[in-house]
Amino acid sequence: MSKFYRYLNQPEGANTKPNQDSDEGVRVSRRGFLIGAAGAGFTLAFFRAGLSFAQPEEVVNEGTFEPTIWYHIEPDGRIVVNIAEAEMGQHVGTALARIVADELEADWSMVELNHVDSDPKWGLMVTGGSWSVWENFTPLSQAGAAGRKALIEEGARLLDVRPDQCEARNSQVIAGDQSISYGAIVSRGDLTRTYTADDLKQMPIKPATQRRLIGRESRALDIPDKTDGASRYGLDAKVEGMVYGRPLIPPTRYGATINSIDDSDAKSVKGYQQTIVLDDPTDTVPGWAVVIADSFHAANKAAAKVKVDWAAGDTADVSEQDILDHGVNLIESLDKGSIMFPDDGVDEAFNSAADVFEQDYITHTVLHVQMEPVNALAYEKDGVWEIHTGNQWQSLIIPVLAKALGVKEDKVVMRTYMLGGGFGRRLNGDYAVPAALASQKLGKPVKLVFTREDDTRFDSPRSASYQRMRMAFDQNSKPTGMEHHATAGWPTEVMAPFFMPKGANDEPYDPFSIQGAAHWYSVGPHRVRAISNDLANATFRPGWLRSVGSGWVNFALESFMDEAARHAKKDPIEFRLELLKAEGKNAGEAPNSVGGASRQANVLRRVRELSGWGQDLPEDTGLGVATSYGQERNMPTWTACVARVHVNRDTGHVKLEKLTLVTDAGTVVHPDGARAQVEGAALWGASMALHEGTRYEKGEPVDRNLDTYTPMRIRDIPEMELEFVESTEVPVGLGEPATTVTGPAIANAIHSAIGVRIREIPITPTAVLNALQT
Amino acid sequence: MFKKILGGLLAFGVLVLAIFLLIAWESSIEPVSASNSDAFSKEQINRGEVLAGLGNCETCHTTDPNKPLAGGRAMPTPFGTLYSTNITPDPKTGIGQWSEEAFARAMREGVARSGSHLFPAFPYTHFTKMSDDDISDLYAYIMSQPAIQAEPPENTLEFPFNIRLLLAGWKLLFFDEGRYETDTSKSDVWNRGAYIAEGAGHCSACHTPRNALGAEDAGKAWDGAIINNWYAPALNASNPTPSSWTETEAYEYLRNGGSRFHGVAVGSMADVVHDGLKQAPDNDLRSLAVWLSDLAQASDEQQASKRSANAIRAVHNTQNPSVMMDEGERLFTYACAACHYNEADSPSALRPDMALNSAISAPTPINLIRVTLNGVSLKEGLPEAMMPGFSQALSDRQITSLLTYLRATHTDQPAWENLEQHVRDQRPQTQAQ
Amino acid sequence: MATEFELNGQAVTVDIESDTPLLWALRDDLDLTGTKYGCGIGMCGACTVLVNGRAIRSCITPVEAVSGASITTIEGLHPEGNHPLQKAWVETQTPQCGYCQSGQIMQAAAMLKDFPDPTDDQINHAMGGNLCRCMAYVRIRKAIKMAAEEMNARDNTAQETGAAADE
Repeated sequence: MSKFYRYLNQPEGANTKPNQDSDEGVRVSRRGFLIGAAGAGFTLAFFRAGLSFAQPEEVVNEGTFEPTIWYHIEPDGRIVVNIAEAEMGQHVGTALARIVADELEADWSMVELNHVDSDPKWGLMVTGGSWSVWENFTPLSQAGAAGRKALIEEGARLLDVRPDQCEARNSQVIAGDQSISYGAIVSRGDLTRTYTADDLKQMPIKPATQRRLIGRESRALDIPDKTDGASRYGLDAKVEGMVYGRPLIPPTRYGATINSIDDSDAKSVKGYQQTIVLDDPTDTVPGWAVVIADSFHAANKAAAKVKVDWAAGDTADVSEQDILDHGVNLIESLDKGSIMFPDDGVDEAFNSAADVFEQDYITHTVLHVQMEPVNALAYEKDGVWEIHTGNQWQSLIIPVLAKALGVKEDKVVMRTYMLGGGFGRRLNGDYAVPAALASQKLGKPVKLVFTREDDTRFDSPRSASYQRMRMAFDQNSKPTGMEHHATAGWPTEVMAPFFMPKGANDEPYDPFSIQGAAHWYSVGPHRVRAISNDLANATFRPGWLRSVGSGWVNFALESFMDEAARHAKKDPIEFRLELLKAEGKNAGEAPNSVGGASRQANVLRRVRELSGWGQDLPEDTGLGVATSYGQERNMPTWTACVARVHVNRDTGHVKLEKLTLVTDAGTVVHPDGARAQVEGAALWGASMALHEGTRYEKGEPVDRNLDTYTPMRIRDIPEMELEFVESTEVPVGLGEPATTVTGPAIANAIHSAIGVRIREIPITPTAVLNALQT
Repeated sequence: MFKKILGGLLAFGVLVLAIFLLIAWESSIEPVSASNSDAFSKEQINRGEVLAGLGNCETCHTTDPNKPLAGGRAMPTPFGTLYSTNITPDPKTGIGQWSEEAFARAMREGVARSGSHLFPAFPYTHFTKMSDDDISDLYAYIMSQPAIQAEPPENTLEFPFNIRLLLAGWKLLFFDEGRYETDTSKSDVWNRGAYIAEGAGHCSACHTPRNALGAEDAGKAWDGAIINNWYAPALNASNPTPSSWTETEAYEYLRNGGSRFHGVAVGSMADVVHDGLKQAPDNDLRSLAVWLSDLAQASDEQQASKRSANAIRAVHNTQNPSVMMDEGERLFTYACAACHYNEADSPSALRPDMALNSAISAPTPINLIRVTLNGVSLKEGLPEAMMPGFSQALSDRQITSLLTYLRATHTDQPAWENLEQHVRDQRPQTQAQ
Repeated sequence: MATEFELNGQAVTVDIESDTPLLWALRDDLDLTGTKYGCGIGMCGACTVLVNGRAIRSCITPVEAVSGASITTIEGLHPEGNHPLQKAWVETQTPQCGYCQSGQIMQAAAMLKDFPDPTDDQINHAMGGNLCRCMAYVRIRKAIKMAAEEMNARDNTAQETGAAADE
């Protein structure tokens, strides 16, 4: 059994050594960095100032974002790296541990992972935005280097040589023909060493050529347990004396109240206990009741027999079309929304244009349908509320849980399990709130399990979006200005408004819902207007879903770039390359976006070669291209994709035959893991473009389960060819960027194949047939 | 004058009644004290056990598996509900007082020891064809079984069907007493099969439709019929499955409970195979298979394989890409195909192929609906294999879509009418069972 | 009501409502949580276990239906977790979030009995009921073929040497 498995089998954390070591042996000062002998082990702990997130300065409240990440070495030489990131399939623990281990010159086979609880000492806990490797690379490298330095110094002392006579390799300090293992140094040595924050910042890290683990193939540490049933997910959490709960979810996300509950029929169900109404001061789950029973089966059976009379909220009749229509109205109200950055000269550009090209794009609601429906186990133990679940953003939900329970935040601890799929659903921990409330009301542990239908009804879906794109051209069909108006439900506004920067017009915007629009094409004056669709926000709780806004923004942007190219009578790749000039604001800057638009141009050229762009293809077969910088200008993952499709003109069926993707993600820490992320992300994009999508009717999504909601299956998978650009630049995120390009590449390929343009996803056979007829 | 006519009519009526009674009246046979099982040889009892299996006595005469042959099983008929009798040797409630003569008369003539006529739900119309030795062996077996005291419930037949005496009239119309007659134009093996099928096996009791008075309709012999809410498929050449019952397939089915070209035995046929025929020697099952393939006018084995392969291939060719699938095809692809998909040339009986299955080409959707809703238990079909039911997973509409898709793409038969209504009807009916 | 069956080679009895889905009996009453809940309606395959060696969606199978049967879950596929499929899953680094993989592996194990040298088409059909939301399908396919190769090679060796293949 793995360490992680054992850890989770002691969820109270009573004997988790790392915590003890930390509490007893390490005094962490706010700007300090400390190595100290702690108990029987050697603990290296450090504290770092926050690295900025999306649009940092104005939104990041200094001091809030200070993850403390640490590892320790046991006397037997085992190196335990603590992982505060949620493991949801990206093998983040492996990637982060390899960063530490490389600098530490550790023996990789001695490295273990320890996924930590939500103690404030870990700082901000959020796993999303494909940030993990990017934000941790430098501090973890420096932590590893600091450890190596300390071990070499102490090892030299024990070997009775000078430190400069020693080198570290494979968990050993070596001096000539003498050597001593890290384990021996820890058990025999006297390691007391303090670095200041400045020391640490200046801690040199190895040149890329001396890396021994980063960029080399390795196996993910979390995988073996995922092949024999040992991995523990939230749904597997258990505690003595718990009862099972199944939620009764009201007909509207907000504003519903319960008039009456009749559970007389449920009383015949063996194991049924009672139905409780939740009283939620945070309004996370208004109008909820929970069926309590001895088993989940009993709760499930009873739930079908409990009759609840609800007074629905205001959105009981809202449909997908209402939300889109509202989006159009918002776009046409020019005073609405936030202007993302200064847009001087845009109006002039359009007023003086020889030609203006304009198109609208729609994306429909997408459900997460992560394989593990949301769930949470909640109970109080010794005055502390234990929440056992899979979660991506502990720091966001803990204050909500504290308020719901009426306790201080330090009285709520979250034990994060493996996530049966994150994809952004578990950034929003709302599902933990009803579990906690039910447990508090009952005075005993409650395991709240959502059925798949409950999960989809309560999903924080990717909102439908409506976007309007405009481009001004001069007489030579050269772009001279651009406008991008985008409206959708805004998850960040609803759940984390403190994360919202202000635009040039002083209006706040959801950076995640418009990311992708601040592109690297030099098109002259550029206006990006982001508008929150308040009807969407009121009808459901919009969610962050794999790549968030970059998903829908790039569908519009990259479809439009293709259309604009054709409008200008240019090859779509040539047209883009001419605009990816790497000058001015698009020149890029160190450390994150070195090279700027030239690196995007590079992946685009490479995908052109790989995909056989320009070759003769069979009838009704076409190639389409799309490129993006992933999600954030501050953390660009340069991505380009060519899709090959064949379209059946009689049925409207679009067969996705091949995806070719080229990615420049800087340094690739864990190459196979990186490939896996790009494979999955690209297919997600394709799935959303061709297979998925739902719509809201009467305030709820019409698709509730996998009989009607139909993500790609194994039979639908196209041929795939992936390539990474070799690079030693800053490593950036990989979990989401490929999601952003496959959809528009497919739409563009359809146009090449049969000459019709689809401006709406999902792309249905009916839409293709309709387009062919007009 | 009027009185005279009336008197004449009365006299005529009395005469007819008297003649009828003369025919109808059967005397009671003296009771015997509980028979001594030592009176029978072990060999005889063993032979009788095989015969009881071939006749599948236990299925109809048992309700509680712990009380075999103690009767009480409800048999719904168009005329009301009959309950099977206790045929254990219990003297009070069973047939412990029946002499072999009384037993043989019941088997051959449909008359109880007391002299009352038996309803033809007891298939003496078939048992009459059994040989004296076989009836004697069967008697030996039954009388050697544990006596169980159990009184079956009263029949609830409607008037006038509850008047047993009238059965004499029914017999006049529909019953020919007599032994099996060998068809000299056929082989001995064939005749052995026919003897079992028409006699003890009483196959046509289920597989032949019945007329308004509950008798097998000779004009529609082996055309298939609904019985106990299951459809017993046609066994003759009118069976529309792509591949007919060859000897090999018939034997496989009767021996193991499933055929790669037809499907698996469910419902009462599962009882026949797994309880009834379990003890039957291979020779008897091979004889039945020979007889059945002749009745079905089966093609040769090679032809059967070819037809099956063609049928499967034809379905493969209709398969749509995911986004083009209608609801029925989608449900099949996600929920069914993992177990039911086959290569055209090598369908497996353990992966019943829907292109070949009797339930899909049947004129009524009952079997397919029941199996979809309730699955195939471990006791049914092939040993050890099972299918879960989808009653909790799929709505009536979804099952209708699924079955509509299967019928339209996997057969050349016309669509079932009122399918969704059938599904709605079957759901509570079969779930109560 | 008590139901008895064999679970990963051991006789077990569960005393629960007979209509309880096998899935929840395994997870909550028998503490084998490797089998997962995904949809509850037999559409995603996360709950796949073997009943008498054949794949079954345990979320729609009442526990009473497996009375007397032999059940194999992911925990019992191989005593050391080294079934050729499990090894191939690690070798190809197939799992991402991993939640669906118990079901994928069990379904693949059943499939390889019927299709020991599976074609892409056979994989598409036999694995079509198993959803992987991380979309690790490319690797799932690769891993199945890798495992099939190992199992076939082993069977051939066993045949050549006349020894029984160790299961």
